[in-house]
Amino acid sequence: MARPRRNTNPAMSYLEIDHVDVSFGPISDRTHVLSDIHLSVEENEFVAVIGFSGAGKSTLMSLLCGLQKPTKGEVRMDGNIIKEPGPDLGMMFQNYSLLPWLTVNENIRLAVKTVFPKLSKKEITEKIAHYVEMVKLSHAGDKLPHELSGGMRQRASLARTLSLDPKVLLLDEPLSALDALTRSELQEQILNIWEKEKRTVVMITNDVDEAVLMADRIVPLTMGPSATLADAYPVNMARPRDHHTLNDHPEFKRLKTEITSYMMGLNKEARAISKDVVPMPNVRPKDFSPPTAAPRLKNKVSQPTSAA
Amino acid sequence: MAKTKDKIKYGLLRLIDLSGFKIFDPPVRLIFGEDPQKQIRDIAKFMVLPIIFLTICIWIWHVVAPTHKTKSGAVPTPKKVLVAYSENSRYGEREQEKVKDFELTGELRIARIAEVEVKLVELEKEAAEKQEVSAKASKEGAAIIQSQIAPLKIQLSQLKGEVKIAKQERKTALETLAAKVAAKEESADAILTLVKQQALTTAAEKERKKTLEAQIKGIRDDPPESIKAAQLAANKVEDEIQHYKKRLDILNGNKEVRKAALLAKVSEAKAELAATADPEVVLAKSKAVLTNSKNADGIEAQKFAPNATIAWQTKRSLATVFVGFFIAAAVAIPLGIMCGLNRIVMACLTPIISIFRPVSPVVWLLIFQIIVGAFFLPDPAKHPLFVTLNSTYWFGWIKNPIAFLNTNPAMIFSACTVAMCALWPALVNTALGVSAIDKDHLNVARVLKLGFWSRLFKIIIPSALPLVFAGLRISLGVGWMVLIAAEALSSSDGLGKFVWDEYQNGSSQSFANIFLACFIVGIIGFFLDRIMIILQKLVSFDDGSATA
Repeated sequence: MARPRRNTNPAMSYLEIDHVDVSFGPISDRTHVLSDIHLSVEENEFVAVIGFSGAGKSTLMSLLCGLQKPTKGEVRMDGNIIKEPGPDLGMMFQNYSLLPWLTVNENIRLAVKTVFPKLSKKEITEKIAHYVEMVKLSHAGDKLPHELSGGMRQRASLARTLSLDPKVLLLDEPLSALDALTRSELQEQILNIWEKEKRTVVMITNDVDEAVLMADRIVPLTMGPSATLADAYPVNMARPRDHHTLNDHPEFKRLKTEITSYMMGLNKEARAISKDVVPMPNVRPKDFSPPTAAPRLKNKVSQPTSAA
Repeated sequence: MAKTKDKIKYGLLRLIDLSGFKIFDPPVRLIFGEDPQKQIRDIAKFMVLPIIFLTICIWIWHVVAPTHKTKSGAVPTPKKVLVAYSENSRYGEREQEKVKDFELTGELRIARIAEVEVKLVELEKEAAEKQEVSAKASKEGAAIIQSQIAPLKIQLSQLKGEVKIAKQERKTALETLAAKVAAKEESADAILTLVKQQALTTAAEKERKKTLEAQIKGIRDDPPESIKAAQLAANKVEDEIQHYKKRLDILNGNKEVRKAALLAKVSEAKAELAATADPEVVLAKSKAVLTNSKNADGIEAQKFAPNATIAWQTKRSLATVFVGFFIAAAVAIPLGIMCGLNRIVMACLTPIISIFRPVSPVVWLLIFQIIVGAFFLPDPAKHPLFVTLNSTYWFGWIKNPIAFLNTNPAMIFSACTVAMCALWPALVNTALGVSAIDKDHLNVARVLKLGFWSRLFKIIIPSALPLVFAGLRISLGVGWMVLIAAEALSSSDGLGKFVWDEYQNGSSQSFANIFLACFIVGIIGFFLDRIMIILQKLVSFDDGSATA
């Protein structure tokens, strides 16, 4: 198995996590969520971070958008340390986080008005219409979030994030709460938008297919606690990638098998660790128990092994 | 066509859902022909059965109430309460008629006088008839009573005779025995036993006499229903006559008449002023001109002061409760937001909330009477607050819409008590709503870099609104309940005072009036709660998350 090259030249990259540790709790009982994380993302690159549930993916995302401060190390964008969240770092949350008392249009209006206070009323309305159109929600602009389906809510959330005109788009498992059909539709929409308006994207996912379909580079996150980023897999496939013919693409097959078996290995390793460890009175066993992978991921994982 | 029908249907259904009258859902669906069998079943279950149950309750009330005699007469039946309602509304109408009569001018006044006089003649005729009927009924009644009492009276006189004889006999027996004891023929114990025996017999005789007398009195005091009804009818007409006589008085001496009289005095004085040569008369007459024309001007602002009617008391209660409620909301919402935002503020206020929340409204009322009352000393009627609130015009030209409330210190104390008791639920719920805000929404605020005020007004308050309104709803309910007690205790005009006055004056109607007030308070409380439910539903953003 050819191991991909580790990115060793971080000084030049656009978005950068520089040897970061994140831990919680008092010193006597510290939980190390992430340790020695190192990631460099080039401008307009689409990076997917793949990992099991509970590995610390969302913590990694909070780190990138400034909601979480690193215990050690630095997170930089364009050479500046990220200290607090802001509209430049467009975060799209896992659970939509639309304001439920505002309609889709009003949700976007609030964002646009706050971030671009100098725009005229007409310009704001145009901007809202533009982004709502982009995610194909024009018919539901006046609906409240609870009147929408999960996929529509996620699209509204995407439109709001895009309307901030962020330099970096951070997608925190944007599609994991959706059904398979809506999911593939939205994947294509996100890809289309990204291809039209190039941006730096970091997406977190637990779906290998999704990562291979969308990303330029896939970075696996190892098992928690003390999760870290493993070597990246570059995806050398031409764009636009077609969702339907992708399954027969040799590169796709190779990457999928490789990444899946790597992730499986992680799982085994974690199990082995948990077997060796004798629970101590002061140690919370929960942190050492094998990760409970999402049902979807389990299915994905079992397929190649049965074939082999 | 079908589409507009659907639109109307779903519009109606949404309205029903919003107002919380869910039981009207099946009939509406039935009218629009949706699954009639199911709707009829639902109507039977959720409308017909409850109505039957209520009917049974009223029937039990109707049967049981008259059997319980109290100091203020029998417990009123549903019918008596309805009568009390109609009498109270008639009373209210009469007061309104008087107020209008006082304002009438010119032709209208004269026409009205003629009308009233005609009515008076009619009424007097009717009264005579009713009097006659009543007299006849009481004569008949008296005969019935006599016939009932007569045998008892005979019994009584017989008893009296027997007792007299028995007493004489006992006396002789006692004297004989005493003589024997003195002669040492009998022991002293024998006479003691006899005295004891005789005392017991006397007591028994007295008891029998008393029972008979009580029976006679009972029959006399409780005349047959026919007499009562005839008397009541006669009294009613008499009452009406009194009312029309009063109206005649008012019409003959109303605003216009009084003003005309004063103006006449003015012109008379002016004429005399012009004619006289005596300097003293000149002085007196010029003074008379001035005072009379001033009085004539003052009459314009005069109004007939009607007696307290139940409608007016209800309006006053509602005004008081809303004043108290808005004070409570104005204090509780900002404080609650501060508590929810800052845990230090919460820690500071928690002891105050915990200690003062359980304090009884009665205690608050007394405290406010002393503390707030001090601001209105020495003469509350001349205090600027009440002068402003009760003046007919504000700034000389805006008609004061609340002049009719006749605001006084007692009303302010009641409102303060309501505010104090209604404060807590709103405060606690607001604090809860603000502190329980979804973390994702706060993250949105951080990503958008909202400032404190926009974060407060665009994220925190909208998100807390459903719970704020849930708290306000409880507050209004508590306030309305507290108000009635506060009014009764502080003698602030309103439903509470109405109940208290009825309890104190103890006329034949008052017991029924108390029941009536009980229903009015309940029904108003119900509608206040409905209004708050609607408001709460309007501000809540999730489907039915904050319903009753």
